[in-house]
Amino acid sequence: MLEAFIYIAVIALITGTVLPLLYSSKKSRKASFGLSFVSSIFLLVFAGTILYTGEESVFPAIRFIPGLDFTLTADRLSGGFILLIAAVVSGVSIYSVEYVEHAKSEARKDLQAALTNLFILAMMMVVLAGNMVCFLVFWEIMSLSSLMLVLHDYFSEENKKAGLFYFIMTSLSTAFLFMGFISLFKLTGSAEFGSLNYPASDLTLPFLCLFTGFGIKAGLVPFHKWLPYAHPAAPSSISALMSGVMLKVAIYGFLRFLLSISTPELWWGTLILIAGSLSAVLGVIYAVKESDIKRLLAYSSIENIGIIFTGIGLYLIFKLEGVESLALLSLAGACFHAFNHALFKSLLFLGAGSVVHATGTRNIEAFGGLIKRMPHTTTLFLIASVSIAGLPPTSGFVSEMMLFQAYFYSSALPDPLLKVLLIITLSVLALTSALAAALFVKLFGITFLALPRTRCAQEATEVPKPMLLGEAMLAIFCILSGLFSSRILALLDFDLGIPDMLLLGLILVGTCGLVRIAVRNSGPSKTRTSKETWGCGILDQLPTMEYTSAGFSEPLVVIFKKIYRTEISSTRTYSDTKESIFNSGTAKIHLIKFFQERLYLPVAYAVSLISSQVSRMQNGKLDTYVLYVFIAVLTLMTFTRYFA
Amino acid sequence: MISSFIANPAFLEDIIRILFVFVLITAAFTLSTRNIASLLTVYAVQSLLMVLIAIFLYMIEGNKTLIAIAALTLVSKVLLIPLFIDLIGEKIKISRDLKFNYLEPTASLIVSMGLILLAYVFLSGFFSELIMSKLFFMGAVIGLSLTLMGMLVIFSRRKVITKAIGYLTMENGVLLFGIFVADLPFIIEILIVIDLMILVLLTTILAIGLDSTIEEYHQRLQTLKIWSGSGD
Amino acid sequence: MNASFLLFTLLNTGFILLVSPLFMSLIKKVKAYAQGRKGPSLLQNYLDLRKLIQKEVVYSPNSSGIMRVTPYLNLAVLLLASLFVPVVFIPDAPAGIGNIIVFLYLLAIERFFTALCGLDAGSSFGGMGSSRLMSLSAVIEPTMVIAFAALAYVLRTVNFHEMFAITAGSTIPESPTLTLISISLFIIIIVETGRIPVDNPATHLELTMMNEAMILEQSGKNLALIELTHAVKQTILMAILINVLVPWGLVTKLTFAGLAVSCLYFLLKASLLAGLIGLFESSIAKMRLFRLPSFYMMAFFFSALTILMEVFA
Repeated sequence: MLEAFIYIAVIALITGTVLPLLYSSKKSRKASFGLSFVSSIFLLVFAGTILYTGEESVFPAIRFIPGLDFTLTADRLSGGFILLIAAVVSGVSIYSVEYVEHAKSEARKDLQAALTNLFILAMMMVVLAGNMVCFLVFWEIMSLSSLMLVLHDYFSEENKKAGLFYFIMTSLSTAFLFMGFISLFKLTGSAEFGSLNYPASDLTLPFLCLFTGFGIKAGLVPFHKWLPYAHPAAPSSISALMSGVMLKVAIYGFLRFLLSISTPELWWGTLILIAGSLSAVLGVIYAVKESDIKRLLAYSSIENIGIIFTGIGLYLIFKLEGVESLALLSLAGACFHAFNHALFKSLLFLGAGSVVHATGTRNIEAFGGLIKRMPHTTTLFLIASVSIAGLPPTSGFVSEMMLFQAYFYSSALPDPLLKVLLIITLSVLALTSALAAALFVKLFGITFLALPRTRCAQEATEVPKPMLLGEAMLAIFCILSGLFSSRILALLDFDLGIPDMLLLGLILVGTCGLVRIAVRNSGPSKTRTSKETWGCGILDQLPTMEYTSAGFSEPLVVIFKKIYRTEISSTRTYSDTKESIFNSGTAKIHLIKFFQERLYLPVAYAVSLISSQVSRMQNGKLDTYVLYVFIAVLTLMTFTRYFA
Repeated sequence: MISSFIANPAFLEDIIRILFVFVLITAAFTLSTRNIASLLTVYAVQSLLMVLIAIFLYMIEGNKTLIAIAALTLVSKVLLIPLFIDLIGEKIKISRDLKFNYLEPTASLIVSMGLILLAYVFLSGFFSELIMSKLFFMGAVIGLSLTLMGMLVIFSRRKVITKAIGYLTMENGVLLFGIFVADLPFIIEILIVIDLMILVLLTTILAIGLDSTIEEYHQRLQTLKIWSGSGD
Repeated sequence: MNASFLLFTLLNTGFILLVSPLFMSLIKKVKAYAQGRKGPSLLQNYLDLRKLIQKEVVYSPNSSGIMRVTPYLNLAVLLLASLFVPVVFIPDAPAGIGNIIVFLYLLAIERFFTALCGLDAGSSFGGMGSSRLMSLSAVIEPTMVIAFAALAYVLRTVNFHEMFAITAGSTIPESPTLTLISISLFIIIIVETGRIPVDNPATHLELTMMNEAMILEQSGKNLALIELTHAVKQTILMAILINVLVPWGLVTKLTFAGLAVSCLYFLLKASLLAGLIGLFESSIAKMRLFRLPSFYMMAFFFSALTILMEVFA
């Protein structure tokens, strides 16, 4: 019965993919997004039921080639991630109805609608996949459809570069996944996902391959570089899906593998924890410097992925040290953070899309004063900002608090050195969350508050209703999942003893009201509103006097200058020989892109060097190839005679 | 009431633990303080902490050597050596040491946290905790870390005076390690103190007679061709 | 929600609201004496608040709803936080009230919205203040979290109410670590309330200010609320330190006599602490802004050592 929901969703999404390609019209695009909305509702119901009842539903296998079956299964883990997909898709599909109409040509609009549906379908199927074949096939469809969406504006040089970068990284990720899955297949002899009862030493290679593969896709440092390229290039609704959902699909894959292992090793947990903490703090530090709104959000995604991985690492460590309650707390924290991040990050990307649409630029320095011009977008953006900055009683706070709580109770661990590791990573997490707050004060404050800094911000107007409706949908999910967090978790049988956010929220609102009532009747009732901002006596305040985005992050840039690795170089020429009369000069501040220049490029050079050597062997002459075959046959013969 | 606290070894051990933390904090200050006068005060305070630790340990253990060590440390390191160095400071009129080699103060604090961990891991490999009480083990760890942090001071700070203080810090670390682990014979302690005195005297001569940084000292040696470092 | 908790809500919040301005003026007084001045009367802050609350509010035309909501929201947040730190007696609170992590993030809410307020009017002072506040508070956050984690480590709970019930039950500090933690807590008070050497609450010069810069545009009622919020924050942070280090007098059961003793003791201890803060402020100079991270690093080193001691011992 429940399986029917999935079938309906699949049919709806396939129809949604085909429809705009067959009939190019605004109506068919509308219908296409309508279908994805419908499918998201069915998925919501399906996932909700699975999560609540905890029963596993297995679908009949579909056989293409004997021995290679497509099996679909859904348990609570996949149920949770289906819920995440469905929640985000419901908002994004409404938003896209209007948003897609701003693309440059009819063909692109159709393509965008079709590919969005295909992308959603692929992500959903990856999560439902019951075996490796099915997983990898849909994984590739997911990667390719998102690649085409990143390249939607393919004439721009910047986007081409972004697409290429994304393509290389995602291929690399798939390569690692293949390696990991093949080595698992060799070990188990079966392509099905099931529990893996093997000694940890046999599982080390699959673990490393899969960790790297999923890590690349999820954007873990040092494999994160594709995110800040791909996200700004893609349309905002797609960035929302990629950042909100696709990164989580990678996390799902990793969890699926990790949770099926009965005997993991401690150093895996340590590795995951360190990689997670590093991604979190570096992600947010790089984000602070950014002034491209979408790139900033991309870096912030890296940070949040880092937090999720921190939770997974903590889970492994606590589990192996036998502290079950904390293990559960950190795993639940990681999953809940994945869910919450999906909601507020897609909301932020949609909001950013609205702002970019209204102003025509992605540069934060050009914004300002949008709160007066786009009040609804601002409110929705504020909800997401407060959430991602982790302020109670929102959802972002709850999941971070679960991790903090696990950390704070870690005195239960027996090993002192492990405790020290946890203390170090705890302080990193604290730094991360405080920096995230600073980041979103900057983003929100510079974008929406004070006076508009340029004409394009001056002339911005509120976006059409469907776009607002889509965002509002996500905002409502976001608020609900925060306020009812402890109830939701209790409903799912997770008794974690976390504070009730509903109570806190109610007290907060109540106190606010009381304070308002208390001071309302004091003093004159009339408030004067028209008095200039004080500018040391300068009247007519100009937008140029405001603090800028770069100015706002300057103290942090100075404090963390070792991490940003800025290089300041200057040249001077003088008019006289004594070098006292200054003639002219240049000063340059160069930001070393550490990972790109020190890690990616050397690897790329090495690869291109090797391949140029190899390509010399490939000279196109038939004789040479026969020679190769001849040598190969001789080698084989010798080898089989003496060594085999 | 107070006497009952003093008689209670657990309470004394708690106090010694607190003193340990302060000792490391003084070392951290030696790594980052720029003002030479306060650097000197920090060193005096650090030595005073050593005196206190020795006295409290005596109250727990009752070993008379500890009192002697405390007295010697008080006279030499809390009073005499700081006085000497203060004199040097007045002569050469340096009030600050602003430049750092290799490590900035913030980085060196992070490094020293790593050093403390390393000391812990290293020593826990040697001493099984069953043989030694926790307090004595901690003492050894703190002593070793203090020695390492002193070394950090020596290579990360520029001026000769600061380097001398780094060396003195190292010696304090050895002392701490000694009173908690090795049962350092008293005579060795006296010899070390004499060494220190000579060191400080030498520093005085170096600093006043030549100049204030080691690099400039080398330069002078090179120009005088006493020591041909450049090999010409 | 039982009767004891409801009563606690009223008494605790009321008491903290009532005495908070006193400690502000006490610190001012001590500083004035240290500088050889006589200083304002101890009731000056109350008078100031009364005056401000009767004045009209002036808003800049550039400002938005953020400016209008923030004063109310921030006071409400701090009042909610005051429920987490029992001063009069320790009630049976509903689960979640008293959680350390929630407490830390309630302070973060106040910071977040104050910083937005600073940007709202478009003045360059406000922007500078919020930029500095957010940057430096990010750098001090690890120290704060580590100090609180050390508390949780020693007392094996993440709830303030349970912690204080443990400390109030013993005559001397439970472990040496608690004594060390209180030094970290003292530094946190100095940093969080923007006192010398971090920030100078007495100046309105652009070179030195952080907190004052952000509230330049506030006036009338709103300014009164903000000043009160600041005072409440200081009292709560002081109360944590007091209840950890010298919890004597804090009652765990609700009796009239116990209540009076509790309040009296707290008043006494907090006045002493306020005096200490005043002396501390008078004895050192304001630090350069970019020298501060290194000061914070020292504070972090200290808190990390504290917790390491606890782990290794």
